[in-house]
Amino acid sequence: MSTAAITTRLGRELTAICGAEHVTEAPPEHILGCVPAVAVRPGSAEEIAAILRFANENKLVVAPAGGLSQQETGKAPAQIDILLYTSRLTETEHYDPGDLTVGIGAGCTVAHLCNDISKDGLLFAPDPPLWERATIGGLLATGITGPRRHGYGALRDYCIGVRFVTGDGRMGKGGGRVVKNVAGYDMMKLLIGSWGTLAIITGASFKLFPYPRNCRTFVACFPNTSEAMAYRDRVLRSPLDPMCLELLSPQASALLTPGSPADSFWTISARGAGSDAVLARFRSELGAAVAHEMEGEKEAAFWRMVANFPALARERDPDSLLMTLMAPLRDVRRVLEVTDEVAAANGFTLGAVGRVGHGNLFVSLSPAVGQQLTKANYATVMRILAEQLPQDSSLTVLHCPAEARGEIPMLRTPTHFASMHAVKQALDPKDILNRGRFLF
Amino acid sequence: MDLSVVIRELRKIAGDDAVLDRPEDLMLYEYDGGLRKSTPGAVVFPQNTQQVSAIMRLASSAKIPIVARGAGTGLSGGAICKPGGIVMPFSRMNRVLEVDVENMRAVVQPGVVNLQLSEYVSHLGLYYAPDPSSQKACTIGGNVAENSGGPHTLLHGVTVNHVTGVEVVMPDGEIVHFGGKAAESYGYDMTGFYVGTEGTVGITTAVTVKLLRKPEAVKTLLGIFESVDDAAQTVSAITAAGITPAALEMMDSWMLRAIEEYCHAGYPLDAGAALLIEVEGLREMVEEQVVAISDACLQKKAREVRVAKDEEERALLWKGRKTAFGAVGRVAPSYYTQDGVVPRGKIPAVLAHIGDVAKKHNLIIGNIFHAGDGNLHPLIMFDERDKAQFDHVLEASEDILQYCIDVGGSITGEHGVGSEKRDMMTHLFTEEELDVMASLRNAFNRDGVLNPEKLLPAPRMCREMKGPSRNPILAQEGM
Repeated sequence: MSTAAITTRLGRELTAICGAEHVTEAPPEHILGCVPAVAVRPGSAEEIAAILRFANENKLVVAPAGGLSQQETGKAPAQIDILLYTSRLTETEHYDPGDLTVGIGAGCTVAHLCNDISKDGLLFAPDPPLWERATIGGLLATGITGPRRHGYGALRDYCIGVRFVTGDGRMGKGGGRVVKNVAGYDMMKLLIGSWGTLAIITGASFKLFPYPRNCRTFVACFPNTSEAMAYRDRVLRSPLDPMCLELLSPQASALLTPGSPADSFWTISARGAGSDAVLARFRSELGAAVAHEMEGEKEAAFWRMVANFPALARERDPDSLLMTLMAPLRDVRRVLEVTDEVAAANGFTLGAVGRVGHGNLFVSLSPAVGQQLTKANYATVMRILAEQLPQDSSLTVLHCPAEARGEIPMLRTPTHFASMHAVKQALDPKDILNRGRFLF
Repeated sequence: MDLSVVIRELRKIAGDDAVLDRPEDLMLYEYDGGLRKSTPGAVVFPQNTQQVSAIMRLASSAKIPIVARGAGTGLSGGAICKPGGIVMPFSRMNRVLEVDVENMRAVVQPGVVNLQLSEYVSHLGLYYAPDPSSQKACTIGGNVAENSGGPHTLLHGVTVNHVTGVEVVMPDGEIVHFGGKAAESYGYDMTGFYVGTEGTVGITTAVTVKLLRKPEAVKTLLGIFESVDDAAQTVSAITAAGITPAALEMMDSWMLRAIEEYCHAGYPLDAGAALLIEVEGLREMVEEQVVAISDACLQKKAREVRVAKDEEERALLWKGRKTAFGAVGRVAPSYYTQDGVVPRGKIPAVLAHIGDVAKKHNLIIGNIFHAGDGNLHPLIMFDERDKAQFDHVLEASEDILQYCIDVGGSITGEHGVGSEKRDMMTHLFTEEELDVMASLRNAFNRDGVLNPEKLLPAPRMCREMKGPSRNPILAQEGM
């Protein structure tokens, strides 16, 4: 909140829309070294539309922001005129515990929503990193979630409605508040994972789930990836339906659970929920590979740590190269082995966690102890990885050291590029939103 | 370009035997499962993606409307072409191209019949989950266009949740790929966006779908109730117990009688409503859920709860549900199926409203629907020879859908907007919200050649065309 006098034309224009108390000129925060001219906290979708229309008329660059938990991703912006926070959009638009649905403003944090609905015995499935800070808008824009992805599906599977303002200042909507709905184009799908390049999300509706009762985590340890992957295949072929099925590399375990015996193994953790009979069945199907079980507080803390892996890896080692990959099931093992080899050959060590039952990995490459790496090392690693990435796989770089940022491609996707560009042109023709940072 | 020239070109592309233009042949393609009819100028059966691309280029350069067609089972008029346009059925592109067990995917041509895909992979212990009631006939390509659902989408999700990649021919004839075999792809989710665009963005020529492993245990229950209210409250009670059944279907008393007289599934003739409930998964869990669901039914005053003892009994219970539309055909010369959705707690209220609407318009309306996700299918009986009654049918439909909107629901859960509900889109979305959607459609389908007059409401089309088209076919109906 600002107390300083507004001195610029931009500041005055934004003040006219949102009020002086919600406008900060030359704010202290920066995005990858780029200091925004003004930070603004609009109070409604209408105010956001007015800001974006003004930005269009003046060809300004707008960076949408939630809890700033994922702003290290993408290329460094050359210019940000307006850093637009959604933090005032926290209204509950609808909440019907009996219907298992909620609609909430984009600025609400994930933790706040989770706590609010837990009193009714309900679960909000997405478990992004830094959930205390991560907002609903940021969650959708980044599409980054955690280990519950295995049992509950992806954001695209349970986000049932979205309200937004397009880059050119139009107020749009997709879906609604009912769990089944095919009226109109599926705007949810377009905006999830679009990194704020198409529209500013102002609110969204979700399916909720009954809070799982009687959870248990079964941890199995393996000396290498191939044995771990063979076990994964066995679990996937079994009748079990775990909530989470997560791979941790030895380095990832060392980061998340230092001092535990898992530090020297590849582990696969399967999380089940249900009656004692159901858990007994998990035990018998998973068999002797299970080294230990976790429950209660310890278990909950473990899964929170796993969800936080991208944030912890970045914090532990700012020089790490952190990325998320999606690969077809069969290729997960190859991706892990190639990444390990390429990392080792170029002076990095590999840390990996991932929803291996869906082919979604988070990989951190840290400079090996004693290694002084140059930006060329990062570029080489990325080039080889991109070349060796299996068909149909895709990749997003979530973090890398500043000096390497300009040298490496931030995204690889099998999806037709010109079609994505056509979508960008349709919703943000003047390239107002996050210009130059992600796809375009 | 003159239609006769277009037909000659179509024959060059797809072969003489792959083009129909005689009136008696064209008649077969003037309708789908919806209400309206329109006779195309030509029908062409492509045999491969390259032919689709060439046909698309031809239609675009001639500015002739073109619509892809699966089995024509759609209930919203999605497969109906403007008069004189080209209908492109995919019955000759009906091969399963690949079954990839390791990745749990199949790659199929759009003409593959939904149920045949599940049968094709059944020996591997796999199946394709979305199961529209028309699954014996409807095609995967049509399912992708309409984002179709079915009874089992309650647990597993609709078509979009099961498609990971598509090959699409764009209006300019370019063949493009969105997604692939991975569960998701970074970059814009074009696959997710594309599914459900009702043939207005491109034409699907291959689809990569998820295959699921058959569950270890499946149990099917029939809960019989004195009133729809009790049945509806049971739906909420099951949800509150933390159970998501694989399917949770409701039939009202009228439907129960119609079905039982048709196929003798063992449904009660004198009950107020019945719930057909299926649970699946781990054996231990399924057994517990059967007990919990039976208890919930009895607590909500169920007269009786039957649990299918074996596969034969289960098949019989489902036979009733899946042949319901056939049963209705015996009772009335025609019927109109609606597809509204309401928040699940509003089911009793909306059923009461449907009863009032039936009385007001002096119509018979039966209800058979996906209660678990609040997706209603009121079936309105009529005789299409009675023009006055037909008008009442349309008014009653709109009244029901408006009620769905008023309580926070939608006008379509799984059948699509098509031509029949596009004017109601203005009740659900603002002008500006529709304008955003139109700008996306125009980004791909600028000339409006692909499936015109579908999904988005009428006035918008006129404006988008930026003045009347010079083309005589596109110029009809105020375009």
